[in-house]
Amino acid sequence: MSAWFALGCKSSLGRLAASAAVAALVGLLWGFPLGSPEVAATTKAASAPVTCATCHVGVATSYAHAPMRHALEPVDNDPVLQAHPKLMVEQGGYSYTVETKDGKSTYTVSDGKDLLTVPIHWMFGQHSQTWVLEKDGSLYEGLVSYFPRENGLGTTPGDGRIEPKNLTEAMGRKITPWETLQCFNCHATAASDGAKLTLDKLRPGLDCDRCHMGSQQHMADAARDNFSTLPKSLKKMDAEDTANFCGQCHRTWDTVIRNNWKGTVDVRFQPYRLENSKCFVGNDARISCLACHNPHQPVNHDDAFYDAKCQACHGEAKTTAVAAATAIKSCPVAKDKCVSCHMPKVELPGGHQMFTDHMIRVVKAGEAYPD
Amino acid sequence: MLVAPISEAVTKGVSYCKQQIVEPRAANSAGLWLRLLLVVVVFFVGALGATAQQAAPQFDDLAARAAAARDSGNLPGAIELYGQATQLKPDWAEGWFYLGLLQYSSNNFPQAIDALNHVLELKPGTPPALALRGLSEFETGAYDDSLRDLDEGVKKGAANEPRNEQIIRYHLAQMLARAGRFQDAMLQYQFFASKHIDDPDLLLGLGLAGMRNTTLPKDFPAEGREVVEAAGSAGYLFLSGDSQGADGLFKKLFERYPTVPNLHFFYGVLLFMHGPDLAIDQFKSEVEIAPSNAAARAILAYALMFAGRFAEAQPEAEAALARVPDMEMAQIALGRSLAEAGDVKRATEVLNEVLQRDADNMEAHMALAAMYSRAGMREEAYRERMVCLGMQK
Repeated sequence: MSAWFALGCKSSLGRLAASAAVAALVGLLWGFPLGSPEVAATTKAASAPVTCATCHVGVATSYAHAPMRHALEPVDNDPVLQAHPKLMVEQGGYSYTVETKDGKSTYTVSDGKDLLTVPIHWMFGQHSQTWVLEKDGSLYEGLVSYFPRENGLGTTPGDGRIEPKNLTEAMGRKITPWETLQCFNCHATAASDGAKLTLDKLRPGLDCDRCHMGSQQHMADAARDNFSTLPKSLKKMDAEDTANFCGQCHRTWDTVIRNNWKGTVDVRFQPYRLENSKCFVGNDARISCLACHNPHQPVNHDDAFYDAKCQACHGEAKTTAVAAATAIKSCPVAKDKCVSCHMPKVELPGGHQMFTDHMIRVVKAGEAYPD
Repeated sequence: MLVAPISEAVTKGVSYCKQQIVEPRAANSAGLWLRLLLVVVVFFVGALGATAQQAAPQFDDLAARAAAARDSGNLPGAIELYGQATQLKPDWAEGWFYLGLLQYSSNNFPQAIDALNHVLELKPGTPPALALRGLSEFETGAYDDSLRDLDEGVKKGAANEPRNEQIIRYHLAQMLARAGRFQDAMLQYQFFASKHIDDPDLLLGLGLAGMRNTTLPKDFPAEGREVVEAAGSAGYLFLSGDSQGADGLFKKLFERYPTVPNLHFFYGVLLFMHGPDLAIDQFKSEVEIAPSNAAARAILAYALMFAGRFAEAQPEAEAALARVPDMEMAQIALGRSLAEAGDVKRATEVLNEVLQRDADNMEAHMALAAMYSRAGMREEAYRERMVCLGMQK
């Protein structure tokens, strides 16, 4: 988990990210050029190992830079730790050092008398970063994480109330098998087989087959010119299905409701927040997660980029009878950068970063965070 | 034996079986009951202090002598004196409570109930009085009353005092299981597991709740204890956080007792708490062992619904409802499955049936929200979502 995501993982009693549901989405949406003569020729001519990128060059190239691809960074190639070979902080009577040498990173905690050093095997997050540590066969969430805003270490979100009584507790919070499953299943690929963790088979980040279930079989078959085993298309999902699909990790509306998660911390559960919007309706693709976000590309942080998405509905307001009949309004204040007002940024408590609130609404000055 | 009258321990002045719950690791805890009594009294006096009004000298004298007798462990004397004092001053709630407590300690359970009735008439809803009356009712076999009082007492905070928590929760757990509220019972047993409080009777009680048996532990025949206690042990391990150890024990149980009903059900319910997906296989195994088990089919449907596998959930829910037409869990699973499949008419019928019985049923409102959303009924979907959010506040 990244630092901010850690907060969601630890309190979660909700459903485990269902790989079956994650698996169905992308091909049609983002255009898999399967079976084209050019692709087939390329495949046959290539001597390199067949990968998804062998055929789907464009999407594979862009996805290499997408956040989900970096939900867990590889142990020997973590940009955060490579850029910060020595991170240190003192807090709660303990000193912490995260050090990287020769591609290997260690996490050390000391109480001034003794010290405890463990290797870092799992780096959760591309920007903010939390480390899952192993000691004596148990897994721990590091008590400190890296935060880019401070460019340093700080308390891992949700762990602020922990008062360690010894070095092991100061190192990290022991995580249950269930929590571990959730964390790894949303940050890595092939991390589990049912309820059993398979960390030996884990691939960092979300590989194609994490969402496109069956893509491995498809790849093997396609290499033999058999295109009858295409992964299920995710493009046809409506807004409701898409929210549930993405919500496997970003949390569905149902999950948040069932777990009674309240407060500003739920701002990071985007599908839940989106579905709380008055304008959300499950059968309208214009309000789907995918209407604004291409999971194969980096997030666009330009507010103006999203204007066209808002205008897809609200642009009709003045011109169509349908719009009038369905009470779709146009904004009387501005015509651009809609999200800057209607999707305000919210500071995640303890998260060291702002999140865009996906509950689209008319924000009134001074109003409390709508829960 | 865990359910022997608590007064035995007081009158004999020896360590008592209930101490195994209260202080399982203590080798010798004579005087435990007096400590427990003190805690209850301190808690109670705080709640009833306002009733100590100015009283006549004769009453003051009786009250002082009653307290002295109580403090010296002279139960018959204290009962006599508190009896006289409460006759003299019938609105003395504190006196009635002490009288109830002493009667309970003396195995005089009907008299204890009578005294506590006075307390609760004078101070309705007082948590320790509710809990103590519930414990007394348990001993007289008035189990429905006991459940009502213990349940209400715990909701009002009677179990917040650590000394009292164990005895109250253990009896409440038994009453909940007897009433068929198995999952509520397991939540009470979870308290003991999370604190690593171990006892054979606890394991039996947990096993009975997990295997959906309404028999009280004290009434359960010895010849059937082995499998139930073993299941309780596995469940206890799971609830104490050792899920791997529990998994091993459950698998051994499945091998040894392949046709015993509700073992897979038990494990499935435990897994469900951590992820419905994880529980589905257990519930499927249960249905294979007992195809006519409507509860197993209903919870299988429910787990499938939680996992978003609505098409699979629907036939299981229908099979459960074919046997028990008003089973709420199956109705919700069916309603949600129909809603997700776009069958608005049938889904509405089924979900409204649930809501007619329970207008605040969250899952039914969630299903309606999903149904309206998929149907493009934006305002109705928003309304249902807001209903759910309102229920959370």
